[in-house]
Amino acid sequence: MAAEVIPTNVRASPRRRLPIEAMQAWLFLLPAVVILGVFQIFPAIAAFYMSLFKWDVVQGAFRGFGNYSDWLYDSSIRSPDFWRSLSTTFTFVIFTVPLEIALSLVLAYLLFQKMRGRGIYRTIYYLPYVTSFVAAAAIFFWVFHPTYGLVNDLVGIFGIGPQRWLDEPSGIFELAASAIGVTLPGWLAGPSLALVVLSLVTIWHFLGYQIVIFLAGLSNISQEFYEAARLDGASERQLFTKITLPLLSPTTFFVFTVASIGVLRSFDSVYVLTSGTGGPLDTTRTVTLLVFKTAFQQAQFGLGAALAFILTLVILLFTLIQFRVLGRRVNYG
Amino acid sequence: MERGLPRYSLRPRFGTIAKHAVLIVVAVIVAYPFYFMVTSSFKDTLEAIRTPPTIFPNEFHPENYTDAWGRAPWGRYFVNTIFVSVSVTILELITACLAAYAFARLKFRGKGILFTVFLATLMIPSEATLIPRYVLMSPSRVACAGLPCLGWFDTYQVQIVPFIASAFTIFLMRQFFLSIPNELADAARIDGAGHLRFLWSIVLPLSIPALITAGLITFLGSWDAFQWPLIVTSKPDFRPVQVGLSAFRQEAGSSYHLLMAASTFVVAPIVLLFLVAQRYLVQGIARTGIRG
Amino acid sequence: MRMKAGILATLMLVTAACSSQAPAAQQSTEADITLSGPVSVTLWHALSGPQQVALDAMVKKFNDTNGKGITVTALNQGNYTQLYQKTLGAIQAGALPELAHAYESFVADYMKADVVVDLGPYKDSATNGLTKASQDDIYKGYYDTNTFPQYGNRLLSWPFTKSLAVMYVNNDILKEIGKPIPKTWDEFEATSLAATKKDASGKVTRMGFAFNTDASYFNAQVYARGGSLMAADNKTVAWNGKEGLAVLQMYDRMNKNGSGYSPKSFDYQSDLATGKLAFFFSSTSTVPFMKDLATATPFSWSIANLPQAATDPAKAKTVQFGANVAIFKSTPEKQLASWLFIKWMSETDQSAQFASTSYYMPVRATAANSQTLKDYWTKVPQGKQGFDLIQYSSPEPNIRGQQDIRDVIFNMITEVITGKSAPDAAMTTATTKANQIIKDAQ
Repeated sequence: MAAEVIPTNVRASPRRRLPIEAMQAWLFLLPAVVILGVFQIFPAIAAFYMSLFKWDVVQGAFRGFGNYSDWLYDSSIRSPDFWRSLSTTFTFVIFTVPLEIALSLVLAYLLFQKMRGRGIYRTIYYLPYVTSFVAAAAIFFWVFHPTYGLVNDLVGIFGIGPQRWLDEPSGIFELAASAIGVTLPGWLAGPSLALVVLSLVTIWHFLGYQIVIFLAGLSNISQEFYEAARLDGASERQLFTKITLPLLSPTTFFVFTVASIGVLRSFDSVYVLTSGTGGPLDTTRTVTLLVFKTAFQQAQFGLGAALAFILTLVILLFTLIQFRVLGRRVNYG
Repeated sequence: MERGLPRYSLRPRFGTIAKHAVLIVVAVIVAYPFYFMVTSSFKDTLEAIRTPPTIFPNEFHPENYTDAWGRAPWGRYFVNTIFVSVSVTILELITACLAAYAFARLKFRGKGILFTVFLATLMIPSEATLIPRYVLMSPSRVACAGLPCLGWFDTYQVQIVPFIASAFTIFLMRQFFLSIPNELADAARIDGAGHLRFLWSIVLPLSIPALITAGLITFLGSWDAFQWPLIVTSKPDFRPVQVGLSAFRQEAGSSYHLLMAASTFVVAPIVLLFLVAQRYLVQGIARTGIRG
Repeated sequence: MRMKAGILATLMLVTAACSSQAPAAQQSTEADITLSGPVSVTLWHALSGPQQVALDAMVKKFNDTNGKGITVTALNQGNYTQLYQKTLGAIQAGALPELAHAYESFVADYMKADVVVDLGPYKDSATNGLTKASQDDIYKGYYDTNTFPQYGNRLLSWPFTKSLAVMYVNNDILKEIGKPIPKTWDEFEATSLAATKKDASGKVTRMGFAFNTDASYFNAQVYARGGSLMAADNKTVAWNGKEGLAVLQMYDRMNKNGSGYSPKSFDYQSDLATGKLAFFFSSTSTVPFMKDLATATPFSWSIANLPQAATDPAKAKTVQFGANVAIFKSTPEKQLASWLFIKWMSETDQSAQFASTSYYMPVRATAANSQTLKDYWTKVPQGKQGFDLIQYSSPEPNIRGQQDIRDVIFNMITEVITGKSAPDAAMTTATTKANQIIKDAQ
């Protein structure tokens, strides 16, 4: 290594400048590498090590991938819990991300046009994003309160009876059907009302952030496209569907990917809004919550770590599929 | 403009009204919880739990704020949070700029792999690494298998140091640095400027919007941090406001008016900061040119 | 060199002599030492509000007066769940405090890592322990609950913030409907229904009973109906008998006829205070909160034992709970200092004082008879009403896995009161899960 060090004051040829540049690069990267290495990567390796052992409060016997197979298929207690929480997690994604994207896209499109009060709207939409989930939980706990909550008064206007919201384990389709006197089979019940409320709170929280990203995307679309289309007599709707949507697709894809990963990993929101239980009746128990419960309530650190790695793989796989399936359709203009 | 003139007849005006209607409805829904929080914080015990809730407090009780403030060491909590958030933000921007510059502008072996490894850290749920991270901070040598443990429980650094590098911010800054024209770099090199000077005197001034954006996002994350400070601090001397608010929720019980008063003063500073800085935030994200 | 060898030899001799003497002095090891210098110990707890203030005052008094150079630092670690999670983390990190506030099932988990000090030798130590009379003065139930059959019947924790499951009553409502405080479960159900009011639209405006989904209150009701919680061998649950089923069936009926409802967090307290609710079950540690509410909105309330199956009052039962304190293994000095603190806390004067400031139960009979508590009880008669029930209380199981079983019970009750399952079906599912958990935790 020492032999390769070249005094910096010697003007080196382009070929020989590379090692210096590489050394400089590593010097620049050093702080980030050290911090990420010590506080992210090393703990991840340590957690992987833990995941290979029975670790019931204290380290026990080596189990190989036994903890993993317990979750996936081997254990009659663990694996139903895992598959259920995985399905809850994906349901959470499905009921959050598309609506969040559609809403923020439409609002961003409206806000992008020159109009009065743009700044005020944007500011209001942004407020929830800066509010911590701890504070938001204190507020929503009350807004969705079964007795005192305002939401019950609100839905009352539309003739809907009071609901238990965050305490309601019944599926939303099941509730809707029973309101008109129909009993649905269990598999059609849909996500619990509690999970849907969590979706709504998540959308509320991230709406402003997504709007800002969409606004950025919109400003990257050249006005020439619109002017040319207007000359051809295109209507407002056509402008939106034929120009805005296709040219915005990279942004949409970015938002979709980031929002999905965010929901798959979400913990704080579910934790504080359900008081750490993942209830009612475990209908909001996402995989992250199950990880937390396994490690910190049952003291099964090995199983908890294994589950966290399974989740990481799921997220990785999901992201790859997104890139494969959706990434191709993105129009990079 | 002339082309557009006929559009400013009745139809667009109707369209404008409709647009405003949509925007207003959403704004009311979004803002309502805040309105509810603030108005409830001025009600008395009984009015706070009245059904249906009163839209406006019958009587104003600003003393709820002094009452809530007096029930916990909020002053200390705020000092802690501000110190931690500011430190994390400044230090993280420094590490991110250096790393992002290397990724964006320098050639070295293993760049692709390192960048992938950095991005991979974003995929690991933080609960997975919670125990090892916690153990790392402990004062016990035994727990760290003989390695020197940090012994950082109940300190500020335990809330600062692990967060002064973030793959997300590095990624954000890298994207921005990539958008700076190569000609500038070539011009600088002709002048004989080193990379550090080039970064400091040319790249950074051009990146101020991106820096503000990244800084605000980091600051926000640090201000709202809850789980980690909860487990690594035991004494109020080092605890942040979010942990304080969570404890207060337990203490306030069914005194919702006090809980809302406390929530209001925990949320207010960060909201004010964003009211002042939001222009930069939006510009920053726009100019960073985030693309799939 | 020779000198060193000489010292080594002497040391070995002394060591040998000590170890040969060990059997004779079996009880006089760590528990009997005396403190030679200042010692600092830390206590992690989950008390907040008025109760934290009360504890801090006691700790300050101990630090000022112990005369042995012991300094105790009491630190709140959030609620009980957060305290438990932090302690588990601290076991991994080897960074335990010297003392921690803990439920019995927490201690059973911590013991898995063998970090908990056996308090038996300390209690019986001639130099640092309690006299026979003093030991007998502490309620027997408190020894039972802190003695762990699965860990060789060792005494692993010490009574600290003890309380009871009791029934809170809004006297004004009972007066209005002209009924006495119910003594049997049938009376309770009938009175709850009589207390229920609906407005013209059929909306319930006043409820009889606030369902409590917490496992402790289910357990209390199983006891009160004459059942038991665990089979004699501690290998299977016993709450799935007819008594447990009767609890679920009652919830189901009360849910359907509108006399019961599911409150959110602590709402039942303000509901009872504002005349919207006749009864709820809670711990005696709820007293200060009700006292506060009663100053804001004057109303008449009292505490009574849960309704009972037995007509003989001497056979009445409820759940004794509240948490204890455990000492973690550290140095002999720190362990002793910790013990001296908890011993001091349980002595007559301190126990009486802490009971009157924290609203927890006194741990010994002489404290209960003290002037301090008598004075306090004249001011807060509900405190006395709660205390009088202490003789009827039995502890909850202290087996490993109990935390998970609590979740199972919680879900079982939720299934019934949300109408997702019939009582017997919910009971069957819950029993299977609970027994599996016990099996796994062995």
